[in-house]
Parts: sequence; C-alpha cells; structure tokens
Amino acid sequence: MTDTSATTPTEEPGKTIYDELPDAPPKKRLRLSWVGKISAFVVVFWVFVALFGTWLTPYSERDYIEEDRTGEFFDDPTFMVPNAEISSYLGTDYTGRDVFSRIIWGARTTIGISFAATLLAYFVGITLGIAAAVAGRWIDAVLSRIVDAILTFPNIMLGLIVIAAFSGQVFFNPISDAIILLVGLAGLVYAASVFRIARALGQDIMVQDYVEAARARGEGLWWIITREVLPNAAMPLATDFGLRLVFVILFISSLSFLGLGVPPPIADWGSMVRENLSGLGNGFFPREGTINAGALASVAPALAIASLTIAINLIVDDISAQSGGSLAKKMV
Amino acid sequence: MMWNMILRRIGVGIVLIWVVSILIFVLTQVLPGDAAQIRLGQNATPETLAALRKQMGLDLPLYVQYFTWIGNLLTGDMGISNAGGATISSLIGNVIGNTAFMAAIVTAIAVPLSVVLGLIAAMYPGQLLDRVITSGTLGLIAVPDFFVAIFLILFLGVQLGWVPAVSYLSGTESFWQSLYVLTLPIATLVIVVSAQMIRMTRAGILNVMGSPYIEMAILKGVPRRRIILRHALLNAIGPIVNVIALNLAYLVSGVVIIETVFAYPGLAKLMVDGVQTRDIPLVQACGMIFCCTYVILILVADIASIASNPRLRHPK
Amino acid sequence: MSIKRPDGPTFRDLGQHDQDVVKAALKSGATRREVMGWLMASGATIGMAGSIVTSASDALAATPKKGGNMRFAWDLHGPSDTLDPILFTSSLDYGRGRIHYNNLCRFNEDLTVGPELATEWEANSTATEWTFKLRKGVEFHDGSKFTADDVVFSMMRHIGEESPSKAKVLVATVSEWVKIDDHTVKAVLNAPNAELPIILGTFHFKILKNGTTDFQNPTGTGPFTLKEFKPGVRSVHERNDNYWNDAHEGPYLDSIEAFGITDSVARVNALIAGDIQMCANLDPKAIGQVEDAPNAEVFAVPSGRYPTITAMMDKEPGNNADFRMGIKHLQRRDRVLKVVQKGVGTFGNDQPVGPAYGAGWCEAANDPNTYPYDLDKAKHHLAKSGLSGAEIHVAEVFPGMTDICLMLQREASKVDFDLQIKKVPNDGYWGAVWMKKPMNVSSWNMRPSAQIMLTLTNKSDAPWNEAAWKNERFDQLLEMSAGELDASKRAEMMCEAQKLCATESGSLIPTHAAYMDAKATNLTGFPRVPVAAFGGMEWPEYVGYTS
Repeated sequence: MTDTSATTPTEEPGKTIYDELPDAPPKKRLRLSWVGKISAFVVVFWVFVALFGTWLTPYSERDYIEEDRTGEFFDDPTFMVPNAEISSYLGTDYTGRDVFSRIIWGARTTIGISFAATLLAYFVGITLGIAAAVAGRWIDAVLSRIVDAILTFPNIMLGLIVIAAFSGQVFFNPISDAIILLVGLAGLVYAASVFRIARALGQDIMVQDYVEAARARGEGLWWIITREVLPNAAMPLATDFGLRLVFVILFISSLSFLGLGVPPPIADWGSMVRENLSGLGNGFFPREGTINAGALASVAPALAIASLTIAINLIVDDISAQSGGSLAKKMV
Repeated sequence: MMWNMILRRIGVGIVLIWVVSILIFVLTQVLPGDAAQIRLGQNATPETLAALRKQMGLDLPLYVQYFTWIGNLLTGDMGISNAGGATISSLIGNVIGNTAFMAAIVTAIAVPLSVVLGLIAAMYPGQLLDRVITSGTLGLIAVPDFFVAIFLILFLGVQLGWVPAVSYLSGTESFWQSLYVLTLPIATLVIVVSAQMIRMTRAGILNVMGSPYIEMAILKGVPRRRIILRHALLNAIGPIVNVIALNLAYLVSGVVIIETVFAYPGLAKLMVDGVQTRDIPLVQACGMIFCCTYVILILVADIASIASNPRLRHPK
Repeated sequence: MSIKRPDGPTFRDLGQHDQDVVKAALKSGATRREVMGWLMASGATIGMAGSIVTSASDALAATPKKGGNMRFAWDLHGPSDTLDPILFTSSLDYGRGRIHYNNLCRFNEDLTVGPELATEWEANSTATEWTFKLRKGVEFHDGSKFTADDVVFSMMRHIGEESPSKAKVLVATVSEWVKIDDHTVKAVLNAPNAELPIILGTFHFKILKNGTTDFQNPTGTGPFTLKEFKPGVRSVHERNDNYWNDAHEGPYLDSIEAFGITDSVARVNALIAGDIQMCANLDPKAIGQVEDAPNAEVFAVPSGRYPTITAMMDKEPGNNADFRMGIKHLQRRDRVLKVVQKGVGTFGNDQPVGPAYGAGWCEAANDPNTYPYDLDKAKHHLAKSGLSGAEIHVAEVFPGMTDICLMLQREASKVDFDLQIKKVPNDGYWGAVWMKKPMNVSSWNMRPSAQIMLTLTNKSDAPWNEAAWKNERFDQLLEMSAGELDASKRAEMMCEAQKLCATESGSLIPTHAAYMDAKATNLTGFPRVPVAAFGGMEWPEYVGYTS
C-alpha cells in the first residue's frame, strides 16, 4: 500500500475560527471521543499483551500442542478445533501449535518490531529533516535528492533487494539477525517519508514569528530547535507516528507474505495469516461433522492486525480533528 | 513564473532519474550469487559454471557493465536476460500490456468513485453517510491487501464460482471477456486504492473549508454544496491529484502481492522473478521503468497543482 | 518410545488385492467419498485414501475422448523458462519438453526403458559402444524428416568443455556420437556405461532438429506443436495430428496451455474453481481442501524422492559421531510423515533408497529400530559429544522442509540442546549454502535405479556427496555390484551398502515422499513413472477428458 492515507487532519464542524490562527498554541489537553476512548483501550490492551502476555499463555510459540500438554499423540494435530480441556482456546495451526498462544506471542513480535522500526524511522528522519530545514541550501539539496530517489522505489522491491543482499550474513543468531535486518529495512524505508514531513514542518516553523523573535533575541540554533521547533512540531509528528506505525505493520506483513519476514518458529501476525491460509480454504468446504478450525487459525491473526491498525487510525483521526492548526496541513 | 516553475520541476525530474540510475546499478551489484550459479542450481559443477559465466559475459569489469548498460538504455536497447537468453524488451513486452491494462481499468473505476465518495463524505461531515464511508475506508486501509484478495477469491471465485479465481488471459479474449477474467484483481485493487483516495479527497476538501475565503462564503450564506463544488474542489485539486499520482505509481510497481495471488503476469512480478534468478539486467530495466513512472507521475501531479493554483497562474 | 509402522494401509501395503477391492466398490456404484470414508475408517489418512481411490478409478476409466483444452499450472515459472533441452531447470521445462519433443528412449512405469525415437539398441560386450536403430517415418513439426543427423546434433550439444548442458555429468564418458547411416547412430564411450539408454530417457536428452539455434520457436517431433511461448507468462501447444506414435490414439487434447502459479494457495483455488485442470506440487496442507471439492482430486505417485538434513562430516559438528547419533535419535519420523506429509509417504531410515525402488530396496536396511526417537539416548549422545548447540541452514527446497527442521529444533530444546534454524531464501541456495554450510538441507528426486541414486549422493568421490561421507567398503560395494550379473548377489551387496549408509552417513532422511499433485477429476490416462511430478511428466500424449 502507498503511504498516502489520511495524513492530513480532518476537521470537525463547529470549530471556532480562532483555532485556525497561525499562532494559536497547540492544545495541551486532549479529550477523546468515545470512539477514541475505545480505540485507546484496544491499543493499550495490545501493548499490555505484548509486554506481559507471554507469561500467561498456556503454550509457547514453539510448542507443538499434543506432547507438551497431554503427552497424547493426536491422529492429526493440525487445524484442531478449540478445546478448553487442553487449553487450546482458538484451536491449532497448520502444524499443530496453539493459535491462541501464538497470537499473544505474535503481539510481542509484531508490535515490537514495528515500534522499533518506526522509532528508528523517526530518529533518522527527524534528525536529518530538521537538519535540512535549519541548515539550509546545500545539505538540504543533497539530502532531499537522495530521499527523493529512495522514495521513487516501490517499498516491497527495495525490501526484496535489501533482504536478498544481506540474508547471507551472520552476526548473532539467525532470528535476531533477521529481526535486526527487518527493523533496519523498515526504519530506513520510512525514514525517507518522515524526512519530508520533518523538513516541511521545520521550514514552516523557521519562518514563524516566535522563531524569528527568538533569532532576533540572539538565541543559538540548538536553542531554537529544542525550545521552539520541536515542541511545535510534536503534535503533528505524534499523529503521524501512529499512521507510520500502521504502515510498518502492513509492510512487514506483506514481506512475511512473500516469505521474507520474521523467520519461523517466531510467531508474527502477518506470517500467521500466511502460513494458515490453506486452512481458510478448508472453511468453504467443511468436511461433514467438522467445525472449521483452519479458517480460525488464519482469520484470528488477521483480526488482530486489523483491530490494532484500525484503533491507531481512529485515535489519530480523533487527535488531528481536535488539535487542528495550520502546521498539520504541511504533513503530506 | 508558472512556466519557470514547470521547467524547473522538469529539470529536477531529469536529475532525479539520473541519480536513480546510479542507485539502481549499485543496488543490483550487491545481490549475492550470480546468475550462472542460479541457473545451474543443484547440478552445477565448476566446469559448467565457468562455461556459462563466460557465455553470459559475467566476467567483465563492473564499470564496463555500467557504461554499456546506460549507453544501451539511451538507445532503447535493454539488453539480454541473464537467465533465459531472451531480450529484456521482449520479456517486458510480454507483460507491460497486462500491467498497463490493469492500471488503466483500476484508475478508470477508482478515481471517479473516490472523488465522488470523498465529496459526499465532505459534504455531510459527521453525518451517518460520512461515518459509514470513513469507517469503511479506515477498516480497509487497516487490513493487509493479500487478505482482501484471498477472501474475495475464496468467496466469489471458489465458493460461488461467479468469476475466475486466477487471472489467466490467453490473449484472444475480447475487452469484456478480459474484464470478466480480471474481476477479482480489479475489485481488490479498486478497494485498496480507493480507500486511500476517498480519505484524501475528504480531508483535502475539509482542509480548504477551513480557509478564510470559504469562511467568508459561508458567512455570506452560500449553500454548503455549492461552496464545495465551486470553490473547495477546485482548490483541493493539488493534493488530490498528488494522491492519484501516488496510487497510479503503486498500481504499476507495488502490486507484487496481487499479481502473485492471482497469477497475473505483470511487471512487478517480473522484477521479483528477476531478483530471485539474479537476472541483473532484468532487475535494472524494471527498476528504471518503475522509478521513471514514479518521477513522471509526480511531475504531472506537480504541474497540475501549479496550473490549478490561481495564485501561481496569475502572479501578482 | 519406538517407531511403529502405522496400522492403516500405506502405499507400500496397497497390493493388488486392495486395489481390486476398491475398484470393485467403485464399479458397484460407491461414490469416491464413500470409498475414502471406508479407507479412512481403517486408518488411512485423507491424502492416502484420496490417492488410492484416484489410482483405482483411473484404472477403471474408459479411454479418454479426443478434444478439449487443458490448462496446466506448475509452481514456478519465470524469465528463465526455456525450450532449450540442455538448459532445462524446472519441472515446467521438463513438462514442456515432453509436450514438444521426444527422447530416444522413454521410461516405463517400472523404471525400465522402452523405445521411443530409437526402436532398438545394443551395446558391445564391454558397454563402450552403443548402437541405436532409429524410427523411420517420423516427421518434425515443420514437415522435415527425422534422421541420424538430428540425433548426432542433439547429443553432441551435451559434450565438450564449453557445453552449458545441465546433464553433462551423466554423459561425461561419452566421447562422440557417430552417424552410421540415415537411421543408425553410434555412441562411442571412453569408459563402460551399462545404463546409457536409461540416461537417454531423462529430461535433458530431447531430440532437436539438426542445426537448431532459435529456442523461441524450435521444432520438435513431440505430440503437440508450439503455438506460443512467452517465458514467465505461458506457452500454448496444439495437437500434432501427424504424430508418429500409432500404439495408441493419443494425443487426445486439442491444446495445452502451460504456465506457473507460484502461490500454492492460489494454485489450489484455481483448480477447484475450474480455471486449471492440472495443479502441480500440491501443498500437503491443501489435501483436505482438494478432496472435499467435487471436481478435483489428489494425484500421488509413491516414489523415492526425499528431503534430507545433512551434517557435513568434514566439518564441525558433523565430524562428531556422537552429535550425529544424538540428532538422529531426536527425529520423530512418524510425526514428520503424519503432520508434514499428511501420511502420504513412507518411513525413511537415513539412506536414499526407499520402497519405491522395488527390488532395489533393502527392507532390512530400513529397520525402524536403527535410530528410534529416544530422548534419553539423544541426551546421552549429545552430552558425550561435548557440544551445546548447532545451526542448520534451511531453505524451503521441499514442501514442509522448514517445519521438519522446526520439529527437530523443538525436540532438541527438550534435551537442552540449542539447535538454531537459519532460514535462507530458495534463490541462490544451491550455490551459496548447500554443501558449504556445515549443516544444510536438500531434496532429491528419485533416480531410475538404487545404484544411480547411491552413487550420485554417497560415493566418496561423487561431486554431490553432500554429507562428505567417505567409506571404502561402501564404494567397493557399489563398484562390485555394477559388474555383478547374479541378481541375488547384487541385491545382497546393495543391501549391505544401504545398511552402511543408514547407520554411518551424516544424512538425516526422515521419510520418503510421494510426488503429490492434484488434477481435475475428469482428466484421465496418466502414466505413473515416479521420477518427477505428475507421473514423471510422461502424460502429454496419453491424457484426455473422460467426458
């Protein structure tokens, strides 16, 4: 997917014209609508699951269900229906692992990687973007051309080439290598977009009255960046951070779909959808007397992705609807 | 002033394409393994490997390969595939029509659809219709595109059997037959792409609605519908065209997953195959096509927004 | 815990009697689903039941009718697709080769060779000269006559240092092909090779027209003519009404369209939706989906194809005997067979020869008690090895390969052994990883004889001796058996060789798999040659619709 979605804030009717004044300070207090509150709850829930959930699951992401719990050898342990007796609340996946446990372990992987990648994108993007805005002409021109060139590449293609190029290298162990590569890749790909936003915001702020006033007072560059530019850019950047996180989650899911994502047996939501897709097919022709557990194994992680990404989107909508202000318009 | 700006943009575009050509060449050189090895696979022996490498010209120095490539590219010769021995232009020729056809159809459906739905949503912000449209598009943006595709295949293609589950065109179909065969990928792409464009159209228009001259029009009592169609839409054209351009670029280069799921032979899939078989000339050619498409589309969008901006059209 | 043979029917157990029972049931009007139900009730897995019924109903089906278009989807295709036989790489290439060309000899279902473009052949007493009599009255698609010149041209392309032929090693001992007269050719060898006709039946030894250079539109003698060929997109073939083979009424189909659908889920969906009729390389996960669909069925041919995890014996940790034994005791072969292969396949005992080789297979070398799943023994050996961990490089070179390794990893973790799985992409795997990294995986197609298979994979000086296993006695046995004319003595030697391989080599072969594909129910006539997918790709001239 292209990352062009609603990065521009929408506006609620009934706003006063004063909110649009260029010098209006960003609102400090946020009041979320009930949709926003529910969404915030969903996000907090997933963050909690990602942080602590793995201590509470009946199985680990690597466990095959039968011998680990019952010692029993099932005739066909794949795509078993949910069975509370063996603590399998969502059934088993294509190779006989517990779907419920894997979704919870997957929350850690998916959210962790995406969050780390988005943070990296922000760190690199904002540093370079503000630098370009503040330092001006020369550095700006070089950085902008390079970023433009990177942006002309389709994300997936860039991912494919980079992963093909580095997958032979060994640094730590196979799993951490792959995760570092994914975080680095997604971080750099999205740093290019963040760079453009940060640069636009920075340029905009640099010509604001209060910055010019600070300059006239003789404040240094660093003081201006940390005291004036960053605080004023914070709110639009925070909302953009949410959206960027969604794109990273979808990007990593797409890579997993092409077999380039998080390596097995580590659970992540995108790979879980992918590896259990054949179970979805069974769902449309269920054998007599069976419940379709295969569909569950594929749909449940997809719902997990959707619930998180939709919730983040709704919060972003809510915030940008309320915090208005001309700066946010520069975000595209 | 307007013409100056446009000429400047074109200049920047050309520089960008040149930067990109270097970037592509460097990137393709870091791919490990070589085409001869991949071609022979499990059956490679040192002798067959050496023979094939020589035959494919993989033993020449890098800079020679770069200048040969860029020179040939300028004269329209994209070279010979490392993997199969066919010319790159014939390989691309085989699929570029497919990609163009799909992109054209999806655009023809998605752009009017998005603009209309976006306008409707913007006309009645906060009302039921708007909520349905915004939450629906939000949901679709948040779901991975392969999931949308697989779900449509299983439901419409396999279970109901209304439309083909794979997009196999034998080349003899009429226009309408082709549309029928391509129903599912077109539907998937329209859904994915429109969701983005609807939201951007709505946001773009609402944004303009906040500007002082619209406030003035509202105060003067002009009906909201008229304000949107006469004033806001015209001024929101810039960002809207920009989004359309980005989505078009996505339709040309970013649809790998859709092409994989529907087995539709298009450019994006060709490049993925190229990366996998280490067919460097093919990857380079496809990369150049994608990047040039992107640069040209963004250029067109830029020019359109400059041309539609009254302040730039009639400088003070 | 030891490995028990499953109680239900397996491919190997499916004798003539069972086949007859199933056939009789089908004849008396039982539906496919009913018969499968009975088989499954007696312990067969769904995949096994499905393929048993398919083979029985195929045997019952009437001769195919002429006509109809057929679409064939393989799992790989791309810009490297080719019609040049010496460069064939994928099984889609092999399939197109069979559609478009002929060989001198072709495989029978029991892996002997019969005549094709050569009608008869004989060797001199030392097997250093082979003379082939060629079929008369055969015409190429362009109308020209097939003669000895075409054979000499096609065969000489495999010879010489500059030749990029993929099958070069197989005919390395052939120094020259000589035309005797218009319909006789002679191969001159610099070392004896008793199996030359078998080699000439394999995929790369297709007969081209003398002087062919254009492989976008080459001419052949095969059952179908080429209408269109776009690498990575599709090829279209139309029936050759002038086909030379009068032994049967084929080719039956009007046309064949061959292409690739890389995504396995999409491929199965296409089959069930009726968009394609042949779906190669069925993912075992999808067996249930195919069997439950009314218009599709599993087509499986038991074979000696196998996945292997190899510990190279010339590197750490494969050079450590205790490590090898420990790992072998960790492998749950029954579970791999059941979960990864859905029961379609046979028990593997770390040696390349499986029951599909018939007389070449040694049952005694397949004793499940050689290295049974046993955590205590595994723990003992691994502790003794002094190692605490190892790393396997894995590419999905066999359906479910990664899952097989993950299961091994899980068992290893139970005895506190840190077995890392390094997943690498398939592309570039054979050059960069296989036979280079200390532990890697591979996948082998079945070869025409146990002798060839063992020589290829385990002989000390074989280029593909992937475990780097060197055993003098084993090499001696292979050489002795090649010259041995007494069948029982030969079998004895092969048996000893297989036992040596099973106990001492660094390969871990958990199962022997079947070639498993899926096809439309109304498509029939498939020969079952177990050397590649879809019955060795021998189908083009035999297959047609029942109604």
